[in-house]
Amino acid sequence: MQNTRVSRWRVWHRWLSLIFGLQMVIWAISGAYMVFFDLDYIHGDHLVRDIRESLPREGKVASLDKVLARYPDAQSMALETRWLNDRLRKVYSIDTTSGQLLIDAESLAVIDISERDIRALANRYYAQSQSSIESVTYLTDNPPAEISPRLLPVWQVNYDDFGNTSLYLSDTTGELLVKRHTFWRGFDIFWMLHIMDYDERVDIETWWLKAFIIGTFILLITGTVLLVYTVRFKTKPAGGPQ
Amino acid sequence: MMRFMQWLHRWVSLILVVQVLLWLVSGLFFSFMGHHAMSGHQYKTGAVSERLNQAEVAIDFTEMHDRFPSAHSIKLVNVSGKGQYQVTLAEQRLFIDANTGQPWETDTTLATELALSSYDGPGQLKRVSAVSGSDEVKGWQGAGFRVDMADDLNTRIYVDAASARVVEHRNTPWAIADWAFRLHFMDYSGGRSFNHLLIWTAGLLALWFSLSGLLLLGRNVAKGDFNPRRNRTWLEYFQQQQQPVASDCGGGGTCGLCKVNLRGDDLPVATAAERALLRPDELADGVRLSCQHKVSTAYDVAPLQQSVRSVTLRLERRRQLTPTMTELTFVSSVALEYAAGQFMQFQIPHSNDVITRYYSMANRPDGKQLVFTVRRIDAPGDGIPPGVGSNYLCGLGVGAEIEALGPFGDFLLTEANDRTQLFIGGGAGVAPLRSLMQTELASEQPRRCVFFYGARNVRELCYRESFEMTAGLSYTPVLSEAEEGDEWDGAVGYVHDVALQWLAEEDLNRVDVYVCGPPAMLKATLTGLAELGVPRNRIRFDDFGI
Repeated sequence: MQNTRVSRWRVWHRWLSLIFGLQMVIWAISGAYMVFFDLDYIHGDHLVRDIRESLPREGKVASLDKVLARYPDAQSMALETRWLNDRLRKVYSIDTTSGQLLIDAESLAVIDISERDIRALANRYYAQSQSSIESVTYLTDNPPAEISPRLLPVWQVNYDDFGNTSLYLSDTTGELLVKRHTFWRGFDIFWMLHIMDYDERVDIETWWLKAFIIGTFILLITGTVLLVYTVRFKTKPAGGPQ
Repeated sequence: MMRFMQWLHRWVSLILVVQVLLWLVSGLFFSFMGHHAMSGHQYKTGAVSERLNQAEVAIDFTEMHDRFPSAHSIKLVNVSGKGQYQVTLAEQRLFIDANTGQPWETDTTLATELALSSYDGPGQLKRVSAVSGSDEVKGWQGAGFRVDMADDLNTRIYVDAASARVVEHRNTPWAIADWAFRLHFMDYSGGRSFNHLLIWTAGLLALWFSLSGLLLLGRNVAKGDFNPRRNRTWLEYFQQQQQPVASDCGGGGTCGLCKVNLRGDDLPVATAAERALLRPDELADGVRLSCQHKVSTAYDVAPLQQSVRSVTLRLERRRQLTPTMTELTFVSSVALEYAAGQFMQFQIPHSNDVITRYYSMANRPDGKQLVFTVRRIDAPGDGIPPGVGSNYLCGLGVGAEIEALGPFGDFLLTEANDRTQLFIGGGAGVAPLRSLMQTELASEQPRRCVFFYGARNVRELCYRESFEMTAGLSYTPVLSEAEEGDEWDGAVGYVHDVALQWLAEEDLNRVDVYVCGPPAMLKATLTGLAELGVPRNRIRFDDFGI
């Protein structure tokens, strides 16, 4: 009677690891990346600062009735500040049934944000002092993969810095919408590898993901059996001399 | 390097196996559920807000601007037909009734209305209760309402009183998913954070574990283990030929049992596993592990001990030596040539499987008769199974048969010399020592034999009378836990302490020492011998293993 059971488990462990073990390495590496880089850092919270300021006293503000008379579709409106043409202006930001609007708080004229304004706004948001803008692009179609197409049209402001920072600002309100940098982009790639959706990077329900999880489970079982045999039932070794 | 990787892979896996299982189970759960089912938003609909000119507003922006001069922003929204100002200050946000100028108030009716307008499921309103935050909504501590819906998912909707905001929808799938997130992220606070010390540690271990596995896999690929037409190893060859070769690890190069003897001019270089498990003189003699080398015609190969064979043992006699130790006398189907101090590998049937256990012969080599002393391992506690091997063997009836393989081992007597033979043993370690002593004392010119044997109490002193009667043997029993009724006037304490005390008075260059006993006793004895300065090559020991 020969003791070949352990050999068989070992053969299975090796063959399964050839397929599922490699994905396990990918899970471990991608998981470690996501775990070790702080999520706030990945989100780029260190790249920007809070630019809200108190509403200035000077300058008149049109009454609610006047605004509603001119923009009857308004669902909500906010009186706030915006840095435009090198000065802090009071503006109304309005949500209407047909989209967002930014209007001057006194004249109620719609504000058209220029590239120059976008540069100034981006620099005010941007918290790293040493870097400068590399390029500014107005995106109307074909958005880069790193932002949702729903954000279009949008201003992309690229910085020449360590993380190749890109700030995305709204073309209607000039507000910062999203921020991207190298480590976010790395996170996105590792997320893709982690959930195994190499196309859209969102689907966690693919059949192959389930298959790999179950396969890895079997690999785990074979490994556990080997572990029991090799760690617990230590043999009576040929101790003896030397 | 590879041996280190193998060690790392095994021990890290021992620590990590449970968490890997949790990762897999929760990951599979996520994959079956999908984002939407886990969100709690199955029946949540985007609120359609009414236009502002439909809302009652008594206070104008200009007035709010005057009232809050340091405000960062002042926002007006329509909450169910009433205006609400949201004033953002540097540190906080205020919600003001646009008609009264007082802080906004949400009553049960409004909360219910808001909750229902955010819900498009099949259920009817079941219950509304006032709450103060919720365990289900991390970071929300304010006063508010929980609106329960009678639907298949047990939907509950949380509404914040200060802002009249629908905070969250929660339901049963969400609650289950929340537990899966706790397991996956190892964040049992419910915060779903995956940046904390516990998961950093697990992540680091997982990284080591999988990368060491990858390296080992690479080695296997390089060795051609995945080639279906590869040359087999000698171990695989022997196993297929039904030739007796012992192996516990199944070819992993970790147990060191599958020794073979190679003969030829062009022997393969020893692998790292062999350098770790075999002695230099064995390596020089051509001893190798059969799992480490491919079948080859470049040299001859033979099992290390030609006498190793598979035999059937029939139980002839059973005798209770002490309350815990049983002496089993077997008769072998064929005569077995073995040396004193060697052991057999027993094949113990156990729940549809066969496990292997090792026991040393306790008698002088005597053709067909083999004597073993088996210490019965009782269950250490409730729910923990007793020793499988010992209980099986102790339960055998006279006439029963069992398969065994052997003999193995090199816990042997030294070559002829005139040194004192010192035996130090404890518990079941008596078996190989008894065999060695019987053999030595039966030789033509027996050397001086001294035996220190440790047991807990008088009842556990096996073979006491026969050792005391043996001519030429100086026998010193030592009790570690002598009991009241023992009437003991002999040595007490630990056997190694007593033996080392005696040895200190001897000429250290004129002794050969043999040690066998439980792991702790063995370790203490070896340490003591080293401190005393006994040369390493004069010490032989047999390890029980675990």
